[in-house]
Amino acid sequence: MMKELLTTACLVAALPLCAQWPDYPTSKTPHDADGKAKLDAPTPRTADGKPDLSGIWEYRGPMIPGAGQRAGQQGAPPRTPPPPPPLPADGIPLATFRNIGAGFKDGLPLRPAATELLRARKAENSKDNPDAHCLPLGLMQLHTHPQPRKIIQSPDVTVILYEAQAGIRQIFTDGRKLPPADAQPWWYGYSIGHWDGDTMVVETTGFRDDVWLDIDGTPLTNKGKLTERFHRVNYGTLNIDVTVEDPTMYTAPFTVKVIQRIMPDTELIEFICQENDRSGPHLVGK
Amino acid sequence: MKFSACRIAAALVLAAMPAVLSAQWPEHRSSKIPRTADGKPKLDGPTPRTADGKPDLSGVWDYAGRIGLPRNFIPGVPNEPPPPKVTEGPSEATFFDVGSGIPGGLPLTPWAANVLKERKAENSKDNPDAHCLPLGLMQLHTHPQPRKMIQTPDVTVILYEAQAGIRQIFTDGRKRPPADVQPWWYGYSTGHWEGDTLVVETTGFRDDVWLDVFGSPQTNTGKMTERFRRPNYGTLQIDVTIEDPEAYTKPFTVRVNQKIMPDTELIEFICTENDRSGSHLVGK
Repeated sequence: MMKELLTTACLVAALPLCAQWPDYPTSKTPHDADGKAKLDAPTPRTADGKPDLSGIWEYRGPMIPGAGQRAGQQGAPPRTPPPPPPLPADGIPLATFRNIGAGFKDGLPLRPAATELLRARKAENSKDNPDAHCLPLGLMQLHTHPQPRKIIQSPDVTVILYEAQAGIRQIFTDGRKLPPADAQPWWYGYSIGHWDGDTMVVETTGFRDDVWLDIDGTPLTNKGKLTERFHRVNYGTLNIDVTVEDPTMYTAPFTVKVIQRIMPDTELIEFICQENDRSGPHLVGK
Repeated sequence: MKFSACRIAAALVLAAMPAVLSAQWPEHRSSKIPRTADGKPKLDGPTPRTADGKPDLSGVWDYAGRIGLPRNFIPGVPNEPPPPKVTEGPSEATFFDVGSGIPGGLPLTPWAANVLKERKAENSKDNPDAHCLPLGLMQLHTHPQPRKMIQTPDVTVILYEAQAGIRQIFTDGRKRPPADVQPWWYGYSTGHWEGDTLVVETTGFRDDVWLDVFGSPQTNTGKMTERFRRPNYGTLQIDVTIEDPEAYTKPFTVRVNQKIMPDTELIEFICTENDRSGSHLVGK
């Protein structure tokens, strides 16, 4: 099953090459002398001088297992963990799509409850990962997903449209507060943002109790809070440092880094998982 | 008890309406809403405008038209009052029947008349909305669940609470893709301003669009032209022209009225979260 999931992820990753994307060269993309998008051009800014995070973004971090790693199907030799991703200069470990804690030498600060939940999810070959059932992904999986996402920044709200599961996210920047702790939990939680210099700081609470932060199933609960620091360092690069706090699952907060790259002159395609979902009953656990 | 899918759909719709009153909406009192002396939103206040002087269509919008449930359709559910007489402009679409106000009905081709008859005979059980699939744009316009418009210079986004639909209307001057493009549930939309009206043209639909709960069809040859007008703070008027030579003998235009929902927000609607109705829907 895991292998199928990985295959699916790889197929999805190859899609941008073969699907019929409505390409549209935008006049706003900076180009170098030979007409290519100039990815190291300066960060674009909005009328009020803030960095403009708008654009279609592709995950550029480590994807899934290391080369030569075997999937966990019956009869296969035991998995060896992939090598950790390289440590960025600022010391914040990179999340991977498979395991957001892959860059931590001693692993994530899991509480016993989280260790057990993660073990159980992995033992079941991640078959209950919401992504495999046409359900919304957690925000971390959306950050590291091979399908692109589009950010549309306006003064009062920044919207992220995720191609994966056609996810919608609103980040309110109109000064409102987070809802009280007993708000109806949402798959995507409730997000408010503010600017700290050139960094948009987004705080999100109100999650469901059963969030999967990655394919392995690293958990997040309704007590959890995500703080994302979005920083567009140049035209082509978006860095997102995500701090996860969840006292029921982790003994201490931890921070991981996600790197995304602009996809110029293209557009999201429609992804309707429910259109022909036949995989659910075939997913097998232990 | 055997309920028809159509009746179930109708019951769902009716159940969804009180949800607006009871669900836990994170309310936020916006400082940008014009208010009367006693603090109520001033719905007849002036149309808000963007920095470049265009009307700003942004806001959370509630369908203000009729559901169009057939009379005595669900036992115990009171009938809607009769529709008001239209004095000017196109007739109003209803959620159930986009052509309900058109004298003589929709200009259906024989093929389309047959499709519509079949869909109605099957109690609308294949309406995509009943199967957690995306609704057609017309059903999204007339759906009792709200939608939020976010207007930016290059793109206007509509987030539909119903089926968590996403729509992008490109206003950056691009052309629509060629006719043989991959068809989409929502089609591909480009928009431009004619005075204070945002004119949106959409093509590239799938062949199996349902324009309403009854199943008025639209095909891949179809084109939808929507004229969005916000005559005052609280009102959005959308005139929709449907051209589809396979389904209709001539173009027709219907009106959709929406009203602003101040100080509130969409809620999350994940149809696949607990979808158990599909296998219980029965046709003829």
